[in-house]
Amino acid sequence: MFLRNKIVSKLHNFMILPAFILFFIFFIYPLIKGIGLSLTDYDGMTKANFIGLKNFVDFFHDSRAKNDVINTVLFALGSAPLLNIFGFLYALLLDSKFKGKSIARTIIYLPAVVSPLIMGYIWYFILQPQRGFLFSTLARLGLDLTNFNWLGNRYMALWVIIVVNVWQFVGMTMVVYLAGLQSIPEEMHEAGKIDGATYWQRIRYIVLPMMIQPIKINVTTNIIGSLSVFEIIMALTDGGPGYSTESLSIYIMRMCYGSSTGYSTAVAIILFLIILLPVLISLKLMKSKEYDV
Amino acid sequence: MRKFLKIIAILLITLLALFPFYILSLLAFTPSSMNFAKELILLPKGYIENFGAAWEKAKMGRSILNSLIITLGAVTVIVSFASMAGYAIARVKNKVNRLIFYLMLGCMMIPGIINTVPLYTLMIKIGGINTHWAMILVCAANALPFSVFLYTGFIRGLPLNIEEAAIIDGCTKIGSFWRIVFPILKPVTSAIIIINGLNIWNNYAQAVFFLQKQSMRTIPLAISMFYQQYGAKWHLMAAAAMIGLAPAVVIFIIFQKYFIKGITAGSVKG
Repeated sequence: MFLRNKIVSKLHNFMILPAFILFFIFFIYPLIKGIGLSLTDYDGMTKANFIGLKNFVDFFHDSRAKNDVINTVLFALGSAPLLNIFGFLYALLLDSKFKGKSIARTIIYLPAVVSPLIMGYIWYFILQPQRGFLFSTLARLGLDLTNFNWLGNRYMALWVIIVVNVWQFVGMTMVVYLAGLQSIPEEMHEAGKIDGATYWQRIRYIVLPMMIQPIKINVTTNIIGSLSVFEIIMALTDGGPGYSTESLSIYIMRMCYGSSTGYSTAVAIILFLIILLPVLISLKLMKSKEYDV
Repeated sequence: MRKFLKIIAILLITLLALFPFYILSLLAFTPSSMNFAKELILLPKGYIENFGAAWEKAKMGRSILNSLIITLGAVTVIVSFASMAGYAIARVKNKVNRLIFYLMLGCMMIPGIINTVPLYTLMIKIGGINTHWAMILVCAANALPFSVFLYTGFIRGLPLNIEEAAIIDGCTKIGSFWRIVFPILKPVTSAIIIINGLNIWNNYAQAVFFLQKQSMRTIPLAISMFYQQYGAKWHLMAAAAMIGLAPAVVIFIIFQKYFIKGITAGSVKG
């Protein structure tokens, strides 16, 4: 205990300072100012006037904002479960020993290395009607769908974006699950086999209970990520047709450029609350061992 | 049979992941006059002039340099600041450290967009618009919470004995951190370099705001230019994208063997 006190000294208290100062100046200070701005009618140019909670009240009468909330939530409801299910299945598939294992893992992760903006552009090229790669190749093979416009259809476009998003980030989810799978000792599998458990029974009763931590990480990051979706939608549909794929972050960006700065920060705070709710619920549901700091 | 099906499935999902890269190379190595609706092209033509044209038109050399400076700078700041903070939080259990830790964790959920406008006015005040250093600090600040979280989780799992031994052998306290603890953190550090390096290399949302001058453009800004300003010049965009992707992919492949280890150590077991 004596030595412990000697190592952990006052000096070590200061080791947190550089990170905290940087974080304070470039994150917390603007955050506090942003909260202040949300209570004003600031338009980016003229002086900001305090208007209380008017921006927040306006939000509830803003039909475009409502539409965007629905889009954003639908996107997350589609993306987050699909990412987790496929990420988990991919991880199970790649957990076994086979030749080229690490090459396969690297390749599956590769799409996540590319910026969603650029991936969005490439998928736009593939999926665009008439001249796109997919439909023109299908047409050559005798299947003429050239007039079929997935991205231009207000009922389908959002689902196409969800699929592209899942396709791009499934590798990321997979890696976290793989890490979890590899921390399960081999003996547990052996014990299950000896007791005569089938493959799926072993997954259900041995693997899943030990995966709570990775599930927690993946579910939280996927919820946060999909509720603040931005670049991939910009690249694929730019929010259209109409506003049928516009997400809340795109709306915030547009309002912010379009001289409704105060209002846009208010909407951003609402987006934060929308993110906070499912994250807190999912953390509560998956509560396992407590962190002790 | 089961094994055979498994291999087929793995092969399929690998091909699926590679599909857009195939399309990208098809576009980049094909002259612009090619029309996919009129001609069936299934293999790249080996036409390389797009790369030169894209390089020149988007001033890719300059963009790569900008992206490199910002990414390397920010990653250096993140690794050194976050490892120290993670150490303090894991080893010194007092109220201040706990408060800072939870504050940072809470901020992981905040969409960056709330900050953008006030950050923009702050940047104008401190003269940070169109500068490398300000972009480095903004990117680093955004990445700190997750990095501190990973470091803290990992350091908690380390036994104190090694540091005790170092102190007995006459190492200074700060020395024991940089010379003894920091090298042990290599797996997490690699994971942090990959995750943040890629995010910053691909950063678009902040770059679009804070780097408006042509000469300050980063890779994603340069690539999106072919889409937005010149009206979907696919062949040039693809060539530029391939140039911009190359460094990220190479770095990822070099570090990827530490990647899973780092994720396991820092978060899953945490």
